[in-house]
Amino acid sequence: MAESTKDKIKYKILKALDVSGFTAFDPVIRLAFGEEPQKQVTAIVKYLLIPAAFVLLCFWFWSWIGPRHKTKSGEVPTPDVVWESVQINDTIAEREAVKKSDFLLEGDERKEALEEVRVEYEALDARANALKAAVAEKEKEKAEREATLVAPLDAELDKLKTETRAAGKARDAEIAAISERVAAGEVEATVLIEAIRQDGIATDDERAKQNELKSQIDEIRSHKYKPLELARKEYDSVADKLFFLKTRLEFLDDRNLSVKLAESEAELADYMAELGSATSAKEALKIAKRAVKAEEGIERLQGQSYASAVTIYHQAKRSVFTVFVGFFMAAAVAIPVGIMCGLNKIFMACMTPIISVFKPVSPVVWLLIFQIVVGAFFPDPENNALLNFVNSIPLISSLGINPALVFSACTVAMCAVWPALVNTALGVASIDQDHVNVARVLRLGFWSRLFKIVIPSSLPLVFAGLRISLGVGWMVLIAAEALSSSDGLGKFVWDEYQNGSSLTFANIIMVCFVVGIIGFFLDRMMIILQRFVSFDGGGTSV
Amino acid sequence: MNLNKWLTTAGAVVALSSLQGEQLDLEKDELKFGFIKLTDCAPIVIAKEKGFFEDEGLQVEVIAQPNWKQLLDNVINGELDGAHMLSGQPIAATIGFGTEAHIVTAYTLDLNGNGITVSNAIWEQMQENDPDLDTDTPEHPITADSLLPIVEEKMEEGEKLQMGMVFPVSTHNYEIRYWLAAAGINPGFYTAEDKKGFTNAQVELSVTPPPQMPATLESGNISGYCVGEPWNQQAVAKGIGVPVTTNYDIWKNNPEKVFGVSAKWAEENPNTHIAVVKALIRAGKWLDAVDEDGAFLNREEAVRILSQPNYVGADFDVIKNSMTGYFYFQKTDKREMPDFNVFFKYHSSYPWYSDGIWFLTQMRRWGQITEAKPAEWYHDVAKEVYLPDVYLAAAEHLLEEGYIAEEDIPWDTDGYKPATDEFIDGILYDPMDPIGYLNSHEIGNKD
Repeated sequence: MAESTKDKIKYKILKALDVSGFTAFDPVIRLAFGEEPQKQVTAIVKYLLIPAAFVLLCFWFWSWIGPRHKTKSGEVPTPDVVWESVQINDTIAEREAVKKSDFLLEGDERKEALEEVRVEYEALDARANALKAAVAEKEKEKAEREATLVAPLDAELDKLKTETRAAGKARDAEIAAISERVAAGEVEATVLIEAIRQDGIATDDERAKQNELKSQIDEIRSHKYKPLELARKEYDSVADKLFFLKTRLEFLDDRNLSVKLAESEAELADYMAELGSATSAKEALKIAKRAVKAEEGIERLQGQSYASAVTIYHQAKRSVFTVFVGFFMAAAVAIPVGIMCGLNKIFMACMTPIISVFKPVSPVVWLLIFQIVVGAFFPDPENNALLNFVNSIPLISSLGINPALVFSACTVAMCAVWPALVNTALGVASIDQDHVNVARVLRLGFWSRLFKIVIPSSLPLVFAGLRISLGVGWMVLIAAEALSSSDGLGKFVWDEYQNGSSLTFANIIMVCFVVGIIGFFLDRMMIILQRFVSFDGGGTSV
Repeated sequence: MNLNKWLTTAGAVVALSSLQGEQLDLEKDELKFGFIKLTDCAPIVIAKEKGFFEDEGLQVEVIAQPNWKQLLDNVINGELDGAHMLSGQPIAATIGFGTEAHIVTAYTLDLNGNGITVSNAIWEQMQENDPDLDTDTPEHPITADSLLPIVEEKMEEGEKLQMGMVFPVSTHNYEIRYWLAAAGINPGFYTAEDKKGFTNAQVELSVTPPPQMPATLESGNISGYCVGEPWNQQAVAKGIGVPVTTNYDIWKNNPEKVFGVSAKWAEENPNTHIAVVKALIRAGKWLDAVDEDGAFLNREEAVRILSQPNYVGADFDVIKNSMTGYFYFQKTDKREMPDFNVFFKYHSSYPWYSDGIWFLTQMRRWGQITEAKPAEWYHDVAKEVYLPDVYLAAAEHLLEEGYIAEEDIPWDTDGYKPATDEFIDGILYDPMDPIGYLNSHEIGNKD
């Protein structure tokens, strides 16, 4: 009995792995349940450990080649630099959250926090000053080192320059002399030509020598002095933190919501008191007007929320949301049209030219077209009823739906519609002839034929198409966001590229992984759906 | 003109009714402003981060834009309420060069702040042509005289030297054209058919977005560029080019960026507009605050804010150079340039008509304005675009509230700066006589 329950659990897990496409972990489960240990261990080594080792090897190769591949645009970041940028991005998100809670903190909690932060600030301030001094010292060190290294080269360069100038003058004089003799007919013209040619070669030679020296000097000057870099980095991180604490102090004090509210309320109370003791009608009117204004101000304050900077988590959420909007738009068009294509040869013939021409069009082109087309529907985005409605839905409102999101989603839909459409048509057209015959014999009407025979039997192919569509959509979306600067991971990459900071490349590579991992999970999700609608139980590809 | 009159009355009413320093009657309190990742967006960013907008009861989102065209389009279609704009943009949009829309400005964000960088190869050739440049610390300003032989040599080989600027109506375009033309190099004309400005060019100037400049220079597609910070210092830091001059040397204290909004927006939200300008004036003043020794008080903090990835995002040390009063021309050539970025000094944030007229003369000089216009037209356009009344209304509030001093604002000006000859070629610019100024240049359209 116990045995069979265990088996049941085992098969349930195995089934789950199979459906979700993680069959590689199959032997691990079997091993855990003690099934043919020898065989499972072999399988684990072959299909889990070796691939894992290979991935590690790739990482090692990356961290080996990164620092060796130098360009002027910057170094290729190693995995640990990328990891550092992950942490930095996380810190940014965390700090935004802290600032937000500071903004909303009230009463004694606020006062306590204020005191705490102030103490921390002062301690850090002292440290920052010390570090700043250290940086200055290292800077001096570097300058001295550089000076001693460059000085002999500089002297050499100066010497070379004087020599070159003298040599050049001498050659010029010689050429002048020869040309006079040529004019006088004493020597052949070719001698002059040769002299000029030689002069050119000599000049090039001298220039090359000078450039050699110059580039040596340049090399020394652009050499990164490690201790200085380290000192600077340490100071920068402390200074960043210090600045964050300073902002926190502001948000806990003057810029805190409850403080601002209390101020406004006190003001209102003042006006009210004044109003009671007003002596003339004119004065009363004036004060009353002010009181109304103050009241409005309070109302506005109560509605105020902390304006958070955009973090990578927010961008990722928004991208996922956008891709689903686009994907559902695509599915809503692709499935009905695909079914009609599959059912009716004439309709298929009508659609073929359209599909063939528009399928290969680049997402960039669609984006530009949709920017114009969609723009027309939102002449005044602030007061658009639909946008305002969508933005009032609790979970979605924080994403900030705007026309940019709409046309990014439309671009996704436009590119994602084709695989789903073609696969649906194929699925419908390739229904087993027996099923069709049965339908005919039973004299099923159009709708029951559609829902009882056509759709169920074409579902696996439809979902296979939808899976490709979602993959295409995700790929297209990042490009669309980058180009249209619609918030999302694409914009994050583009902004990073524009920043051109020392972390730019690391951040871009980080996004590469984020996009890849999200894409992977989207794909797995589609695999699971696809498996649920397949009867044949056939395996899915990776 | 109508708008101006209307705003004057609105401004006056507001000024009279609120002498207690209370909040204005805002028509709209949640605003979105756009900016391009350049250090001169600082006043907008500072006004947000230091809470100056909040003090006016405004909730402001500051959003990076991918390029100048999209930024302008977003202001026109209402996606943005206002933006960091090139000085030429509101003017060009209003007269219909490029996208046509009536854009106005009541606040000048900064003066100066650009540089011209050439590639290492061109710099070497310039040094050969002019041995005086062949030192670690050559004398400035460097003119394009030593560039002329290179351009001519290229022309003989059937090629044209390629250089980059950021936008057809950008200050950068006019500055690099000015610099080249001052040395007798023809940078090309715009005509009714030629919207790229290549006609008769000896040097072809093409549009490249600022962040792509260093990469484009390195790839060899262009041999030089004119762009704002941090992209010149970036070239020095990476060792791919040499900034030869700054626009401070081309025209001392030239207007650079403005805060632009659509005329429709300004008309619908007069009090909000004043509130925004109030916050910007405070931010400008904060940025230019100095101690008794003339050292900047707040610039380091400003750099810290600007280097955040959601604002300019470049490295702290790179932005710091120009923002704290230094500029590296080469790794060895660090110069003090306290006026590299001016945000408030010299009454710089006032929306001067004379600034608008200079840009109009340059648009005419290079053919962006295709036909001759009478002098009055120049004055009229400037008055349509620049809204000093809004600025003065905001300043009046701030004066009452004690945030600024009487002498910070040019209260009684007619909107025209005095004539100046502080240009690299020493030609006198008298804003009262745009046609005469146009005709005083050797290269360029004359009326």
